[in-house]
Amino acid sequence: MIKITNLEKYYRTEEVETVALNKLSFEVKEGEFVAVMGPSGCGKSTLLNIVGLLDDPDGGSFLFNGIEVAGFNERKRADLRKHNIGFVFQSFNLIDELTVFENVELPLIYTGVKAADRKVRVEEVLDKMQIMHRRNHYPQQLSGGQQQRVAVARAVVNNPKLILADEPTGNLDSSNGNEVMQLLTDLNEQGTTIIMVTHSEHDAKYSHRIIRMLDGQTVTENILV
Amino acid sequence: MFRNYLKTAFRNLAKNKVYSFINIAGLSIGLACAMLILLYTKDEASYDRFLPGVNNIYRIVSKEVNPDGSILMQSGNTGSFHGPAFASGVPEIVSFVRFQGDYVNIKKGTEVLGQDAHRVDSNFFSIMQFPLVYGNGKTALQQPDAIVLSETVARKFFGSADVVGKTLQLQRNGTFKPYTVTAVAKDCPQNSSIKFQMLTKMELSAEEISDRMNWFNFFLNTFVVLAPGADAKQVEKKMMRFYEMDARETIKIVAEKYNYKAKAQYTLQPYTDIHLSKEYRADNGMVGASNPMYSYILSGIALFILLIACINFVNLTVARSLKRAREIGVRKVIGSDRRQLIGQFLGESYILCFIAFVLALGIAQLLLPFFNDLSNKALSLTYLFDVKLVSSYAALFLVTGFLAGFYPALVLSGFNPVETLYNRFRLTGKNYLQRSLVVLQFSLATLLIIATVVMYRQFQFLVSKDLGYNDKHVLTVPNVTGNKIAVFRQELLKNPNIEQVAIRNNGFNVTLARINGNKELEFTMDWVDADYLPLYKIPVIQGRNFSRSFSSDTASAVIVNEAFVKAAGWKDAVGQVVDFWYNNKKYTVVGVVKDYHYAALNEVIKPQLLCNNEDNFGLAVIRIKEGSAAAVLPFIEQQYKSIVPLQPYSYEFKDISNQRQYEAEAKWKKMLLFGAVLTIFISCIGLFGLSVLAAEKRLKEVGVRKVLGASVTTIATALSKDFLLLVVISLFIAMPIAWLLANKWLQNYPYRAALSWWLFAAAGAGVVLLALLTVSFQAIRAAMAKPVKSLRTE
Repeated sequence: MIKITNLEKYYRTEEVETVALNKLSFEVKEGEFVAVMGPSGCGKSTLLNIVGLLDDPDGGSFLFNGIEVAGFNERKRADLRKHNIGFVFQSFNLIDELTVFENVELPLIYTGVKAADRKVRVEEVLDKMQIMHRRNHYPQQLSGGQQQRVAVARAVVNNPKLILADEPTGNLDSSNGNEVMQLLTDLNEQGTTIIMVTHSEHDAKYSHRIIRMLDGQTVTENILV
Repeated sequence: MFRNYLKTAFRNLAKNKVYSFINIAGLSIGLACAMLILLYTKDEASYDRFLPGVNNIYRIVSKEVNPDGSILMQSGNTGSFHGPAFASGVPEIVSFVRFQGDYVNIKKGTEVLGQDAHRVDSNFFSIMQFPLVYGNGKTALQQPDAIVLSETVARKFFGSADVVGKTLQLQRNGTFKPYTVTAVAKDCPQNSSIKFQMLTKMELSAEEISDRMNWFNFFLNTFVVLAPGADAKQVEKKMMRFYEMDARETIKIVAEKYNYKAKAQYTLQPYTDIHLSKEYRADNGMVGASNPMYSYILSGIALFILLIACINFVNLTVARSLKRAREIGVRKVIGSDRRQLIGQFLGESYILCFIAFVLALGIAQLLLPFFNDLSNKALSLTYLFDVKLVSSYAALFLVTGFLAGFYPALVLSGFNPVETLYNRFRLTGKNYLQRSLVVLQFSLATLLIIATVVMYRQFQFLVSKDLGYNDKHVLTVPNVTGNKIAVFRQELLKNPNIEQVAIRNNGFNVTLARINGNKELEFTMDWVDADYLPLYKIPVIQGRNFSRSFSSDTASAVIVNEAFVKAAGWKDAVGQVVDFWYNNKKYTVVGVVKDYHYAALNEVIKPQLLCNNEDNFGLAVIRIKEGSAAAVLPFIEQQYKSIVPLQPYSYEFKDISNQRQYEAEAKWKKMLLFGAVLTIFISCIGLFGLSVLAAEKRLKEVGVRKVLGASVTTIATALSKDFLLLVVISLFIAMPIAWLLANKWLQNYPYRAALSWWLFAAAGAGVVLLALLTVSFQAIRAAMAKPVKSLRTE
């Protein structure tokens, strides 16, 4: 599904240039659950952002389902993203002004799904995430675990092929964290490919494969299953 | 999608009340001003266009050009002769109607009332098709004793509008005669240059109709109707050819007799151009003459206010964008592209603008009476039903929403989602745009404030300047003539509260005479009695005042002012002769008065000649004791009514009528003050919003500084100084421009208040002080907050 070859990314300020990804290569097959680990600043999130088409690489190749997407312009990236990729962030990133229902509904709006269909799909996914009773609440009215469930619901409502999760349990206590990990595992079992960046060895164990990164490069790969 | 945008927008508005208030208040005030100005300009542009066939109606106007090309005289006036003459000589002139302002006395029971009226030709309603409520326009003015009333005047005299056939006693040549109401017209629309209340038929003597000397007599308006398709320029040429042929002999006679060398030029002024014409103004019975400059200045002020409000929106939205950065990131991550985000933010600006627009309609309606008073209009928002105005308001809404929303939408939609989602997002750069916009706002506000201060000072100067005579506690009563004068004076002086009574001519007269043999001099000529100069305390600096002991004074003595002496080049004025050669009269100067401002201060003191001839006396001038007005006014009225029973009684205090000369300045002063207050208010609330956001942005910095031991003052200063610097920069930009503009404006006044530096300094200090109050409030609040709070948020 994803094939990355010699991927490069630099961050430049007026005085220094930092190498975030240094000729990184790896592959993720459809249906896989991959954890990316490594110390802070090793380039995990940068990798996730490039895979999520939120950021451009400075060099190398990135094939998404066999299509080279490294040179895509913003509109093409947005189009590909909204139909194929769901995101889960450490800090949930819900829109404060929208209710639970509206937050989850948003990706469907951008993909042009009709209102009646949206209602059915949002309710279905909220039900699945066991957060239906909070549908009319605003994010600030929910606990961290509940917020992350909403974020997961939003990430999956469009039935994306790929979910990118950036430290999804980083802001949660262990019980809520486990619940979220279980959700991701369930999704993966239903066929969704998952790439998850994490610091937690515990969370990484939910994955099939762990890629360890250092200084913008892959250093090891552990296959767990 | 739209519903989602709408929800986000409304929830954002509700959540950020200060921000919403600043934007909605500013934009609604700006929009309300713009709406009023649009209403005003629409009204100005619509003047007189309601008359059917108005595009074929022209006014004959004239210009007298000296041999050197300079213009001797230019006016919209013609005489009784011009209309029939041109209509007979130029085939394209289908018909004409003459129109002259008049004032008649009407007897109602034992009371005599004054009434504005107009003298018109009998075909008036065939050309000027004002709608009638009763009667027939074609026949209404056929009879010499016919009158047409407006509805309001009909009600005033008869209590109803259905009064055709009833009579009114009008005074003509000293006696009251019955006139029959033949028609009642609807009151003229407010955007009409002709607003008649009463029309009488113009009666002309045989001499007035046939004597070609009347080519040189100008006192009324002549309107002509051109044949459909006629080219006005060609008609003008034919008119000139006709005039030069028909008036050839008369021109020669006038040139010889009056040494008149100028050449008359007749042109046609489209009727719809009259209202805004500077050259040929609406006068002599026409009303509401306006200057397009007013529209420009008003539009400028409204644009300033709206622009400042839009700047608030742009600045606050961009400054607030930090708070919405995450939302933008999320929307991008889940599939929104930039165009959709631009649409969303532009949509939000339109929603806000729409709320402001609705509020603005209410504000405009509330302000309308005040605005009408300032602009001398009777505007109404019912004009809203007019397609053009509705479309201009719609355009105003669209432009404002775009102006306010486009730039922020462009900036916000361009945020990098990665940075926003990982809280790495900062507004980069030195924010030059925001700073420049604040500078622009405060420059405009300062400009208006200085303009207001300068105008106030000039106005104060005009109304408080020593006029060279004492106009306090003096009132004037018109229509005291002939043998009534002595009786009236004698009776008034019996009252101990009345100190002096003098008499002079009514009105204003400019004429010319020869001095030093054959030098012609133009001057103002007034007729006054011996008590006039002492009453006004006007000093005689050479020779003597008129005196009843010199019987020859009334026949041959004149007094001149210093300006006259200077223009004549006399060293010793007393004894000099002023020769009115055209009516064979010679006068001898017996005294010189110190120059005094007999006219408004808008003019330099021109040569004035005072004559003692009683024939032109008509205005009683009465000096009363200070504080006695309430007691003495009924007495004067009572005396007047018993001595002059056949004239309407009216009076006017001289100092008030003097002040009224500066009504235009007084109105502009108010208008500018209003504009200045609004601009500074909107600028300051914008600055307040920015300072709130800046303080929030620097919350951590403030916390760290406090932990390190900084005092409240140091922190408040650090937070305020950036903004104050911008305000100071704007002062440096605005002041030279204000100085140039104020200087240019003051050049219109021969007597003007000095443009002192302290005036600018005071205005500048005021602006800085207001800005300081605005930003320091927030800065001090932020500086006094507990550091633990701000540090914990990180």
